[in-house]
Amino acid sequence: MDDIWDDEPVQNAQSHAEWTKMSSDFTNTGYREGITAGKEGALQEGFDAGFAQIGVPLGRELGNMRGIASVLVAFLSQSGSPLLDEARTISTALNSVRFADIAPRDLEAEEHARQHLETEGEEVDVPEEIDDKRKMEGLEDMLNKLSSGALNPADHSRPTMADVTKLKTRLENLVLESGLNINWS
Amino acid sequence: MDFDLESLVHVEQDFYDAGYTDGYEHGRIHGLIEGRALGREKGFEMWEELGFYEGLCKTWRSVLEMQGKQDSRATHHITHLLDLISKFPSVNPSQEDAETNANMDISRLLRLIRSRYKALCASLGIVPSLRATDAEGGSDEDAPTTTRKSVWKVNAAPKAEDMSF
Repeated sequence: MDDIWDDEPVQNAQSHAEWTKMSSDFTNTGYREGITAGKEGALQEGFDAGFAQIGVPLGRELGNMRGIASVLVAFLSQSGSPLLDEARTISTALNSVRFADIAPRDLEAEEHARQHLETEGEEVDVPEEIDDKRKMEGLEDMLNKLSSGALNPADHSRPTMADVTKLKTRLENLVLESGLNINWS
Repeated sequence: MDFDLESLVHVEQDFYDAGYTDGYEHGRIHGLIEGRALGREKGFEMWEELGFYEGLCKTWRSVLEMQGKQDSRATHHITHLLDLISKFPSVNPSQEDAETNANMDISRLLRLIRSRYKALCASLGIVPSLRATDAEGGSDEDAPTTTRKSVWKVNAAPKAEDMSF
């Protein structure tokens, strides 16, 4: 007799648990597959935006400056000009600039990574290729520090966009002083 | 009993769909972020090289003018090189563009630019930048270069593997 009376609530609790499990199983499966589809659908859109809006203009600008500086070094050393030192300094400084130094922050990416960290305590994966590149650059920095010792600690800070802007002004002045005429566009 | 089973199937689908919709929105955010990160690196890499040639051309042109050598072979190379660079897309072309426009053979255009640059260096008697040397080494591994080309050229139907290299 006891069994009969007790049976019902137990079964109810059980079926409730099964129901919850079933619903969350299906929701989770849908969520996982939705993430994959959503990601694949948006990759190209993001790629094109980053390519055209950030990568190309920054690369073109820095590349132009480097090209101009390299010719100035060649031209001024031919003519034995006292301006050569300045040209060399600018050229060397420009060559040490990396994309990571001057790339603007991706605020949406930072915000989203922060949300992940807060809700799950997990960091968002960085694309492998970019992760590898950053690691190589970190290694480069370390080797530079080792080889130059502590002789010139000020040199170890990475250049910034502000530094690049200053270099551009110096480069423009140098072009004028060299008597050349360049369309900077 | 039949009715219950039927509605249960719908309920499963409803749960799945609700999950899918939320997941899709979340996945989009990740796709945009990751795509942007890859795209800006790629765009920077491509145009740093082209920009270097561009700046070099503009400066040498001025040097040659100053030296009264406007009609030299070098000036001729410079004109052609600047023209080729101006044809290079600064926006990732869509697949339709690539198919309808025969000039959109980007890897060919890049090869033309690099060889014209090396010809210019030869006529000026200067050593070509490592950028062009890299390109020569790159021709050995033609396979990855070809898949990469598709990454930013015909990437209209991207696969996750393609994008993350």
